[in-house]
Amino acid sequence: MTYDGIGVALFALLTVGILGGAAGVVFLNRITGAALLMAFTFLCMAGMFVLLGAETIAAFQVLIYVGAITVLILYGVMFTPQRDRAYALFFQRQTPWAALFVAPIGIFVALFAFSFRDSGKAVPGGSDLNALATSVFRDYAFPFEVASVLLLAAMIGAIVLVKRDDE
Amino acid sequence: MVPGPFGLDPAVWAILRLLIAVLLAVGLVFNGALAQIYLERKIQAIIQDRVGPIHTGPWGLLQTLADAIKLLGKEDIRAKLTDHWFFLAAPAIVFSPMLASYVVIPFAPGVIGADLNIGLLYLTTLGSMTVLGIVIAGWASNNKYSLIGGLRSAGQLISYEVPQILSLVTVVLVVGSLSTTKIVESQEGWLINLLILPLAFVTYFIAGLAETNRNPFDLPEAESELVAGFLTEYSGMRWGLFFVAEYGEVTVVSGIVTTLWLGGWHGPLTDVHPLFGPALGVLWFTLKTYFLVLVFMWIRATLPRFRIDQLMSLCWKLLIPVTLLNVMVTAVLLLAFPESHIPVAIANWLMLAGVVALVPFLQRRRLAALRERLAVQRTAAVGAGQP
Repeated sequence: MTYDGIGVALFALLTVGILGGAAGVVFLNRITGAALLMAFTFLCMAGMFVLLGAETIAAFQVLIYVGAITVLILYGVMFTPQRDRAYALFFQRQTPWAALFVAPIGIFVALFAFSFRDSGKAVPGGSDLNALATSVFRDYAFPFEVASVLLLAAMIGAIVLVKRDDE
Repeated sequence: MVPGPFGLDPAVWAILRLLIAVLLAVGLVFNGALAQIYLERKIQAIIQDRVGPIHTGPWGLLQTLADAIKLLGKEDIRAKLTDHWFFLAAPAIVFSPMLASYVVIPFAPGVIGADLNIGLLYLTTLGSMTVLGIVIAGWASNNKYSLIGGLRSAGQLISYEVPQILSLVTVVLVVGSLSTTKIVESQEGWLINLLILPLAFVTYFIAGLAETNRNPFDLPEAESELVAGFLTEYSGMRWGLFFVAEYGEVTVVSGIVTTLWLGGWHGPLTDVHPLFGPALGVLWFTLKTYFLVLVFMWIRATLPRFRIDQLMSLCWKLLIPVTLLNVMVTAVLLLAFPESHIPVAIANWLMLAGVVALVPFLQRRRLAALRERLAVQRTAAVGAGQP
């Protein structure tokens, strides 16, 4: 007796979680609920990474997206003044246009996704850590540093923008 | 698959092992919470010159058990305007990452849920998920105090995560592994990481206090100003679950400190017998962990609560620069002297001394103002004819 089928079952569960969560983010009226469902979707994505044997990516996914980004979004939602917006849906006439633009992108994404079918798989057990570290800090060290300098500049810019003059 | 003991089928043993591990972790968390609440009350009572619980059972030992039964029997009250599902989910979202943390805590050689290669990363990941639960609790309660408590907690936890992770990084640099078992194995003998990295220990401990919402960092649930913050609308066992999660978190942080700095299961007589040795290892681990839990309680009984601006400036102006400097110095010294940890240790002790000496210098204006106020009070007291 072995548990070979459990991976498939988990995959099915996570897929349902991701699709259901994503649908909830789009269709829910309450913005906070949408933010929390987004966190749930991210969690299910992390589960997918674990199934693929990329535990480090999964850990970073949870650490950054669930632990930090969702909380920041919740902050943003809570500090934004909320009024009753009964008029908001009144002008909502973009559905056909949206469908027209999304459909080609959807076809492209589907084709792109299926092109990965036979590509390699990471080795389970957290051994993706070394490969990740080598690629970030050795092979792509320069782009990594450039990106971090860019982020630093953006952060300083944000601080300068929100700093009050009267201090 | 792991082969089972006593000739058990590995497939059966896999499920059995999972069951045993989960039951042990749940038992550990709940009984640990009961024991810690008793200890907390007794130790605070001793420090504040009171007696603490004495009436229920010998030395009041059954008091927390009675409290737990009372909590379980309470009506499940839910205010009408709370956000139903999120209100129900919040205690579980706070509780389950804490329970999952026990997977990678190494109690003894071989006594570990799963020896993950990324153990420390996994622990920090779970620690960051607690924020979400507390923010949801604060928001779903539909209460202004709760919301402020939840937002304070989010700001505090996100800020203190940075020095916490940076302190862990120094240990990872010295040991060269993220696996908790390997970190403990590297500290065989007397040279534990506490002697090599005392500064990282201090910064991690302070950040850990903040991460568990304990005094002096318990602003999210400040009773006197926020009527218990995000806990205001909760009652009964849902409220109890938050507290069990808090005590479990304290145990996890103490366990991490024990693993990373105090040598984990290492202690006298652990290699005498193949069965007796690991049991003794579990004992050493538990003793070290509970010593740190007692330090948590000691701090709670002695220090007053921070103001929110003091909390933030402590983190961003002192802890983060110090831990960043620590990471850089440790990395450079490890590159310069790959054979020995002694230069790192010397540098770390010097930096710790420097930081301790720096604090009165940074606070010199406040200290001067305090001295002035005390002098004024003293002269006023003399003027009023009091000794």
